[in-house]
Amino acid sequence: MMKSVTVIAALALLTGSAALAHHGWGSYDAVRPVTVTGPIQTLKYENPHALITVKGTDKVWTVTLAPTSRMDSRGATTKVVAVGKTVQAYGYPSTVEKDEMRAEWIQIDGKKYELR
Amino acid sequence: MEHAAPAIFVALEASDFALGIRKSLWLYPAANIGHIVALVFFAGAIAVMDVRLLGGLAATAPGRLLAGARNFAIAAFVGMAATGSMLFAAEASHLAVNPVFQVKLALIGVGLANIAIYEFGVRRAVDGLAPATPMPAAAKIAGALSLGIWVAVAACGRSIAYAG
Repeated sequence: MMKSVTVIAALALLTGSAALAHHGWGSYDAVRPVTVTGPIQTLKYENPHALITVKGTDKVWTVTLAPTSRMDSRGATTKVVAVGKTVQAYGYPSTVEKDEMRAEWIQIDGKKYELR
Repeated sequence: MEHAAPAIFVALEASDFALGIRKSLWLYPAANIGHIVALVFFAGAIAVMDVRLLGGLAATAPGRLLAGARNFAIAAFVGMAATGSMLFAAEASHLAVNPVFQVKLALIGVGLANIAIYEFGVRRAVDGLAPATPMPAAAKIAGALSLGIWVAVAACGRSIAYAG
């Protein structure tokens, strides 16, 4: 009995169900996709994930993108993903971080970039 | 972020060292791969030591086998610490408050304490033993604890990205 309690506690801890989420797709709500459209306000073209803030119609979203190597290879370079450009980002809202989402794809200047 | 990290970790993440790691196309992935490669060597060396302490691999005298594996384990641990420090610095303010990361660090501390207890308390009873001699109970306990602790450390490490 004690043993199974310990195992369950360890699993709960490791899967981090109650914890804050940051990366991976696990802590994003895939059944509630959102599309955010607006100008890019800030850009961090950094590993492990590039990050932009987008001024949507309702609020400013933090949009988590892909690792920089994948961004580059898909064509989403710093020339494309730049502050001031209008972006359409389709993705999933974080279940833990307020106003944060992870983008499945983004569209800039009429071109779509898959990020997954 | 709504979870505030102590200022020292915020400063570390903002440092040129950490920024350089994040800005580089290859440094972060290189540290990631290096961490795993070092882990493979560490796990291999530790597994040999633990199995020997538990009484396996008995054809070789324990002192001799442990001495060889110990050097591998120390070198691999240094490699893990170096690459791990890079990965940590890049995201210090998030990781410092990540509960799984905190558990991982605590477990590393427990693992090192287990090693210290063995090295200073148990080792002298083991190093002189001939091949195929039954191992002292204290050595078996140290080996079993070590296996469990380091597997848990690895599991925590893999889970950090999904928890914070």
